[in-house]
Amino acid sequence: MKVYVIDNGGQWTHREWRVLRYLKVDTKIVPNTAPFDDIADADGIVLSGGAPSVATDGGRLGRCGEYLDRADFPVLGICAGMQLICEHFGGELGPGGVPEFGGVTIDVRSHDDIFRGLPDRFKVWASHNDEVKTVPDGFETIASSETCPNEAVRCADRPIYGVQFHPEVEDSEYGVEIFRNFLNIIGEKKC
Amino acid sequence: MLGAEDFIEDTVRTAAEKIPGKAVIACSGGVDSMVAAALVSKAIGDRLLAVYVDNGLMRKGETEEVRGMLSDMGINYRIVDAGGEFFSALKGLTDPEEKRKAIGEKFIRVFEREAKEFGAETLVQGTIAPDWIESGDGVRDTIKSHHNVGGLPKDLGMSLYEPLRDLYKDEVRDLARMLGVKSSERQPFPGPALAVRCLGEVTSEDIEIVREACFIVEDEIMTASVSGKMEMPWQYFAVLLPSKSVGVQGDRRAYGRTIAIRAVSSVDGMTATYSRIPLEVLDSISTRITNTMKSSVNRVVYDITNKPPATIEWE
Repeated sequence: MKVYVIDNGGQWTHREWRVLRYLKVDTKIVPNTAPFDDIADADGIVLSGGAPSVATDGGRLGRCGEYLDRADFPVLGICAGMQLICEHFGGELGPGGVPEFGGVTIDVRSHDDIFRGLPDRFKVWASHNDEVKTVPDGFETIASSETCPNEAVRCADRPIYGVQFHPEVEDSEYGVEIFRNFLNIIGEKKC
Repeated sequence: MLGAEDFIEDTVRTAAEKIPGKAVIACSGGVDSMVAAALVSKAIGDRLLAVYVDNGLMRKGETEEVRGMLSDMGINYRIVDAGGEFFSALKGLTDPEEKRKAIGEKFIRVFEREAKEFGAETLVQGTIAPDWIESGDGVRDTIKSHHNVGGLPKDLGMSLYEPLRDLYKDEVRDLARMLGVKSSERQPFPGPALAVRCLGEVTSEDIEIVREACFIVEDEIMTASVSGKMEMPWQYFAVLLPSKSVGVQGDRRAYGRTIAIRAVSSVDGMTATYSRIPLEVLDSISTRITNTMKSSVNRVVYDITNKPPATIEWE
């Protein structure tokens, strides 16, 4: 299974690569400026986080929008990656009412896919200034926290998921399980 | 670590191919550079020279400890005493990034000199993933310039070989245990050494203060861990703050410096939580610092910030 990590300049892009590698997936880090042909053979991609503000500095997010339009494989957006997904499909972003740095407790609303088998409530690690204010049409919120209403989203008719927090870092609980669930989604689609 | 045995085998083979002549390795005694040294030494033997630079900013007894480790490893090594050069380079600098870059550049100049004398064409470094990630690049913000990345000049007259670039500390420790490298459990210590634990301009007097305070923090935490009072943190040290505050010592007014204690738990250094040190241990550290260092320090505080939003070191 090939799952590539699209690098939006995050501090933890390389951690995403490490988690995937430890899950025995064929993976590599690809710059977000790479032509779609470079990732066309992927079975799934992860859009990493990054320092740019998606709302005001979209130019630094390369061709991620094009990847979203052309992907026929599952996509998981992390932090800025989730914000980018939401903005691309018509949602609204803005500065977080309360920015979250470090530990935050999330409440899971749906256990159907990336949160399959996980508790209703657990602690994850976040690091973001901006957040998704309005989820785009065709998307729904599947996790929230006291300080951020949209901690995770999914698309109704395509396998596109976003998490505002960082499942790839050691301090997030059930981070590896979230990745494993995403890989299972890819596996089911392939069969 | 995933596939550690294969990694060792592949690296030894690649090192032999990539280093046809002689090489120097920048060796601080920490687990990253010692593992890189062990791997490359397996590949090219005596064509490798390990260079340890005593920059005048190391911890108490550190240079002698590293000398012992390098001797035990049975590889070629040189200890270069360059303390004066580093203090001159740091004079007048207060900005953390400027300090880090000055130190990185000084390191590389010393290595270039040693490489030239030894006839080396390759510089080996124990750079690991967080070093280049946090140093920033075309797409990534610079969080802090690590000395082994941010100080590298464009005109480095040697080829660079960094076999551990994709690894994190926990993985390097696994390799160290397999290779029998003694510093496998050593706590991380930053390349710019005590200079980044001495906020603002670095002077030899302030380095003395933070060196002693770091020694006390390490000694007390080690003692408490051995006696089962607490778990060993991932990293633990003292920071000398630039501010002064009022105190009272034996009915006399005091006006002295503040030491911040920092201790964190982490797996890979990319996220960290502050350690829940028992209050009685914090108390022993505080009392020992303020009693034995009374002429310079009259206040001790504990840093209760995670990473993010803080970093582990203060600069």
